[in-house]
Amino acid sequence: MKPTLKSFLTKLTPGGASRPGQVRLEGVAKSSLDMGRNRVVATGAIFSLAFLAVGWRLIDVSVMQPNLTRARHAMPVSALATRAEIVDRNGVVLATRRPIQSLFADPSLIAKPDRLVRRLSRLLPGLKKTSRRALLRRLSDRQRRFVWIARDVPAAIAERIVAMKEPGLEFRREWRRTWPQGAVVGHIVGFTDVDGRGIVGIERKFDRRLNDNTAPLRLSIDIRVQMALRDVIGETVRRFRAKGGSALMMDVRTGELLGMVSWPDFEPSAPGKATVSARFNRNTLGVYEMGSTFKIFTIAMAYDSGLYKEGDRVDARRPIRIRKFSIRDYHAKKRWLSIREVFIYSSNIGSAKIALRAGRQRLQSFLRKLGLMQRPPLELPEVGAPLVPRHWRPVHTMTVAFGHGMAVSPIQLAAAVAGIANGGTWRAATLMKQDAAALPAGRRVVSRATSLRMRSLLRQVVEKGTGRKAEAPGYRVGGKTGTAEKAGRRGYRRNKLLSSFVGVFPIDDPRYVVLVTVDEPKGNKSTHGYATGGWVAAPAVRAIILRTAPILGLRPSRENVDGVPAVQPNTKPGTPPGNSPARRTAPAQPDKRASLAGAGGHEAE
Amino acid sequence: MARPLPLLRSGDTPPGLLDRLLRLRWTLIIALTLVAAIGVVLLYSAAGGKMAPWASTQIQRFAVALVILLIAALAPIRFWLRASVPVYLFAVALLVANALLGTGAGAERWIGVAGFKIQPSEIMKIALVMVLARYYHWQRHEDIGRLHLLILPVILIGIPAALVLKQPDLGTAVILCAIGAAIMFLSGVKLWKFGVVAAAVAGAIPVVWNLLHGYQRQRILTFLDPETDPLGTGYHVIQSVIALGSGGLWGKGFLGGTQIHLNFLPENHTDFIFPILAEEFGFMGGLVLVLLYAFIIAVSLGIGARCRTQYARLTVYGITTTFFLYVFINMAMVMGMLPVVGVPLPLVSYGGTSMLSLMFGFGVILSAHADRNEWISRFADEE
Repeated sequence: MKPTLKSFLTKLTPGGASRPGQVRLEGVAKSSLDMGRNRVVATGAIFSLAFLAVGWRLIDVSVMQPNLTRARHAMPVSALATRAEIVDRNGVVLATRRPIQSLFADPSLIAKPDRLVRRLSRLLPGLKKTSRRALLRRLSDRQRRFVWIARDVPAAIAERIVAMKEPGLEFRREWRRTWPQGAVVGHIVGFTDVDGRGIVGIERKFDRRLNDNTAPLRLSIDIRVQMALRDVIGETVRRFRAKGGSALMMDVRTGELLGMVSWPDFEPSAPGKATVSARFNRNTLGVYEMGSTFKIFTIAMAYDSGLYKEGDRVDARRPIRIRKFSIRDYHAKKRWLSIREVFIYSSNIGSAKIALRAGRQRLQSFLRKLGLMQRPPLELPEVGAPLVPRHWRPVHTMTVAFGHGMAVSPIQLAAAVAGIANGGTWRAATLMKQDAAALPAGRRVVSRATSLRMRSLLRQVVEKGTGRKAEAPGYRVGGKTGTAEKAGRRGYRRNKLLSSFVGVFPIDDPRYVVLVTVDEPKGNKSTHGYATGGWVAAPAVRAIILRTAPILGLRPSRENVDGVPAVQPNTKPGTPPGNSPARRTAPAQPDKRASLAGAGGHEAE
Repeated sequence: MARPLPLLRSGDTPPGLLDRLLRLRWTLIIALTLVAAIGVVLLYSAAGGKMAPWASTQIQRFAVALVILLIAALAPIRFWLRASVPVYLFAVALLVANALLGTGAGAERWIGVAGFKIQPSEIMKIALVMVLARYYHWQRHEDIGRLHLLILPVILIGIPAALVLKQPDLGTAVILCAIGAAIMFLSGVKLWKFGVVAAAVAGAIPVVWNLLHGYQRQRILTFLDPETDPLGTGYHVIQSVIALGSGGLWGKGFLGGTQIHLNFLPENHTDFIFPILAEEFGFMGGLVLVLLYAFIIAVSLGIGARCRTQYARLTVYGITTTFFLYVFINMAMVMGMLPVVGVPLPLVSYGGTSMLSLMFGFGVILSAHADRNEWISRFADEE
């Protein structure tokens, strides 16, 4: 830049005709200053706008609600270190964390990425061909300083990788969520993603709580019961070559679910490998036409409304025909039946007639009280709403009376049966351990007298009705079978059944409801080809009771094996759930475990 | 801002060095020191509550940088005007040396000088401002509109931009062009010419796209949707935004940032340091830093507005713009508004060259402030 050159140039090129430029220097300086000022103002304005944008974005990511929740949601990446455990009612760990070693690389330090990838893939079988190519591409990029190679490397392999002494390879300690009970509680506890964000189940529903509060989250589940349910339902589904099944056990006094198994189930640490049907929670998300178990509600309504008394009879001589289809009885007696017989012989005709007389309004409001008409408030994200006819016609009143035309989930059915059997107080099913002293007030659904009558009916079904195979000697089981034809494309399909059994025990002072459903079981030789609830689900309930009752501190007693026992007058509904033994052995017994030999003593009653 | 000392009027006898030292704009120096102090606190936190390895080094560097700032401020602006071209040539030489020698290992952005590793491109950012200011100081206002007089500035910008692009460092090359464009804009180059260049750039995008390295393309694509590659390029941005968001309004407290301390943010002591601040001191902490930056920029623009000579004005504006670009690009980058280009947060991120060159730049601003009433002719050398 030579000033002489410049002055030469300026002489050559005067400011232009229109501008007074060179002559009036003052004017030029002024206009130059003006324009300079405008340009500066413009620059300042751009800076201000940019700062406003940055400030707004800062508010956006750090303060504003939607992004805040997203960020908080995303936080468990780190919160995995402190995310609360999930435990069963007795403190057994269902979800916790474990330390893992994860391998990453700093590509800027790697001299021969292809050789490194080759050596690594020998040690890490998880590196598949495709991902190996992607990894090589990343490691060859010298601009990167950080590339994940493998998360969760087993300790032995990690040692060998360290021994390779490759520069640029490093391990980072991380935490990973783990579910030590595996598939046993998969549907309940659910799982998280790699970064610890709850995806399914309790992990999802209580995602916030688990991150915010490090105290373990205590569920109502008893892992021993859960295992028993799983064994039995798995065996049942296999034996009858069914599509699937469900089993659950609920404390009738508190609504606590002690166990809940949907079969097939899945391993929560590898949800990707599970099929959609395995991940489906039949107990909560599935709704089914339950069939005859619904007669419990029809008959309870009949008694409780005062429309029917003990001796009243219903005409069940011939099927009811409504246009194209007809309502028939499976075990048709072709005569007038008492209310009691309608239940024990599971008469569709009788139930339909009772419901018709009670009327749509009464039936609906009764089912609503039992929590069967609305989505139950269970503590899981996967909870299905019942299917109720949109236009409720008289025919629906009749079919719902025997459990068709309306679909509910197993937890709804169990809670409703518990409400009727426990003396008449309904409580929603829950997965949270309840404090016996601070139980939420239940909802009265039937009178105590109706409840007692229903207990006796349920007992008779097991003693001499369709549910005989549910009898677990000494535990005084009551219950009801259900065999629903599954709806196909053209009406109901005779050979596609949902066979179920809902059992209550001990029936003279109910403590637990057990519900088993089996989806499309196929009869075999041992059942003479039958696949009904009585043949398929009732034995499963029996097996569950025989396995779990001793765990729960219930003692078998002999005298009630035959004959419905009188209901104990000094029942204490407030006894703490779960860990108190059956009434007979209970409160007087200081230590239930110490008196195993004392079974005979109970016969005194 | 109170001015404790009377303004120096032109024609006054030049004050002694001590006098000049006392008349410096100390509010600006204090604001710069506060920003650097925040940086030290964050580096202490990033190291897991330890002075080593970053915080202690950063303090030493800042001390050196402060001395450089004072020396630059004490030198008369006339000196810097004369030094502009040599400084620029020196920076170009460093870039060329860097390109020729290189360290041979990947990114060739550093060069060893007397045992120190320096980043020539950081020096170039200030040197480019100075040389362009020098050019437009010499240029007469009524000639600025002439097309052929745009050739030299374009070359002055183009040489370092091309050298940096070869390193390859797309981000810095773009920043150099932006700085150059800003000075040309401030010196009065007509807007439609920028429009033409913008259109040309837009037209060149498909061509450039083909010339880009794979990782550069990947970064741009990832910027458009960071979640496509959560464990690769997008990892930084996602973790950064998570850390920013997890701080909430008041933050998790000093050393309480889980994202940072569980090491979910690699390289958090350099470019991704802002999330530490936002996580541990929350939105409010971030806001304080942003306001400090805004204050520094506003004070500097104010200084520029009061300078009588074109060189001083343009240098002040240019350095302020450079500083602004650092702040804006880094913050926008960590908040996922811009692609990850590798720009440090000025005076906060761990890094020597950018701190030294920026503090030098502010020294020049302070020098311009001290000599704001001085008039220098277009041909400074003739006087």
